[in-house]
Amino acid sequence: MTPIIRVHHLHKHFRLTRNRHGLLGAVRGLIAPEYRTVRAVDGISFDLARGELVGYLGPNGAGKSTTIKMLAGLLVPTSGEIVVNGHVPWRERQAYVARIGAVFGQRTTLWWDLPVSESLDLLQHIYKIPAQQFQRNLDEFRQLLGLDAFINTPVRALSLGQRMRADLCAALLHDPDLLFLDEPTIGLDVVAKERIRQFIQHVNRVRGTTVILTTHDLSDVEKLCERVMIIDHGRLLYDGKLEFLREKFGGKRQLVVDFAENYSDAPVDGAEIAGRDGNRVTYEFERRVIAASELIGRLSSQYRINDLEVREPDIESTIRRIYEEKLLENASDAAN
Amino acid sequence: MRLFFELARRSFQRQLTYRAATIAGLVTNFFFGVLRVAVLTAFYGVQAEVNGLSLQGAITFTGLTQAIIGYLSLFGWYEVMNSIYTGAVATDLLKPMGYYRFWMAQDLGRAVAQLVMRALPIMLAYAIFFPITWPKSVGQWLALVVAMALAWMISFSVRFLANLAGFWTPNALGFVRFAFILMYFLTGFLMPLRFFPDWFVRLCNLTPFPYIINTVVEIFLGVLTGPQIVVALLSQLGWVVILGVACQLILRAGVRRLVIQGG
Ligand SMILES: Nc1ncnc2c1ncn2[C@@H]1O[C@H](COP(=O)(O)OP(=O)(O)OP(=O)(O)O)[C@@H](O)[C@H]1O
Ligand SMILES: [Mg+2]
Repeated sequence: MTPIIRVHHLHKHFRLTRNRHGLLGAVRGLIAPEYRTVRAVDGISFDLARGELVGYLGPNGAGKSTTIKMLAGLLVPTSGEIVVNGHVPWRERQAYVARIGAVFGQRTTLWWDLPVSESLDLLQHIYKIPAQQFQRNLDEFRQLLGLDAFINTPVRALSLGQRMRADLCAALLHDPDLLFLDEPTIGLDVVAKERIRQFIQHVNRVRGTTVILTTHDLSDVEKLCERVMIIDHGRLLYDGKLEFLREKFGGKRQLVVDFAENYSDAPVDGAEIAGRDGNRVTYEFERRVIAASELIGRLSSQYRINDLEVREPDIESTIRRIYEEKLLENASDAAN
Repeated sequence: MRLFFELARRSFQRQLTYRAATIAGLVTNFFFGVLRVAVLTAFYGVQAEVNGLSLQGAITFTGLTQAIIGYLSLFGWYEVMNSIYTGAVATDLLKPMGYYRFWMAQDLGRAVAQLVMRALPIMLAYAIFFPITWPKSVGQWLALVVAMALAWMISFSVRFLANLAGFWTPNALGFVRFAFILMYFLTGFLMPLRFFPDWFVRLCNLTPFPYIINTVVEIFLGVLTGPQIVVALLSQLGWVVILGVACQLILRAGVRRLVIQGG
């Protein structure tokens, strides 16, 4: 099957004028401005199949929003190719945007002074959505997103979480093939986040909409994405399964054991003791060295055990380690 | 067409909700109208006519121009520029519709609301307090309606064009303000154009500005007659087309340049 998104050697460079200090500097700046180039996106390639839901991750300033804007046709690439749904996004704007939906967490598509319902009606006309389809979608989203409580409130009077729900509904009324979400959970409380995640999952699973999601909240990723892409400094550091990332860079797993007796020491091959608290001992072990079942087998043959629990390294600390320790860059150096 | 109407209707409704602003605008426009009447009366002194315009005509002129300030957004309109600067333009460009028509529809709603809520009350107030001249024939009224509609389209396109400067510089405010100051003089808002020297009027007539106000005024006062009216309306129409094309071309170049601010 042909991919719905194909991105090839994509670059976006911004040219900024360098400000010089003082009067003399200002005058020189006028005569011979000095430029500085920011490589916001610096050679990214990937494909996306129809129906995928990928997380697009990276630290602040990594180039996520810039990529999304290019994919949505809002920015013209400096070089490289993008083909989405058979279109070059920025070239055929009107035809292209009719088939996509986008939510930029920081701003709204809705009319500030109009009640939500009026904005949605306008969108029906803008996207020329047949009345039946519009009504069906609206009913479904109203219920899933709980819009009824504020559907007659002007957008300017909505809370952030309410506005985000209204915006998600607005982005999907026309049954887009693709949905771009740039930080859709930014600034929301736990309950609101969860509701939005469930909605995104529903849209992806039930409607088959392809979704690209950027976020700084890794529970979004854990809950939603099988595949993640990690970028930093405009370069793609990782593109693959989240699970693999966890295995490879996840650090150590933990096994917490409650023994039936108080052993003064309880060594076992393949794992190290990381802490103890009365009868409770915490072991650390590596996935590639020993499987959890094997370790449990060894322990139970040597000691009397009441209870035990395997703890996976959380994805948040994994990805933080990847950013901070530049694990992926070293990994690719080693591979070359 | 349906979309255009729906956008205009929402924009009209939105204007109706700005009641306090409307009343403030009404009072201000009328107050300055009275001032202008005083100045013109002093200027006329004992003369019955200046450059073919009677004092009553001049008073009508001030009433009419004060009345349509809101309709034509003569004193400034920065919405497109602001939406470029806040990045709101991004969400509008994600909608499958022409950006120029999108704003035109919304401006139409705004303009019609201003016509109803500001232009009519001001003209009525003038009619109560001052001697004014009204159009005398059905034909003149019809021509006036057409001229007003075309004047709005020209004014919209000029304002839109000026706002597009926002695509090129982060400091377009000065430029857009300058465009509005030009409008102030060259449209014939400040003074009827016929008070100015001939060469100046001829120069103005090479620009779209007089077709925003002067044409409307001259039709209203009956200065233009018969074939002159037809020529004036056709000239307006010509500017509507030229400016419409210019807006589209420059808009396209601007969108290409667009760098949306903010993360
Ligand atoms: N309009 C612009 N002009 C100049 N530089 C820009 C512009 N937009 C983005 N940049 C720069 O490009 C880089 C990438 O920015 P981008 O907004 O894509 O990051 P991001 O990954 O979305 O970050 P965040 O997580 O903070 O939203 C940054 O260094 C930023 O300063
Ligand atoms: Mg961003």
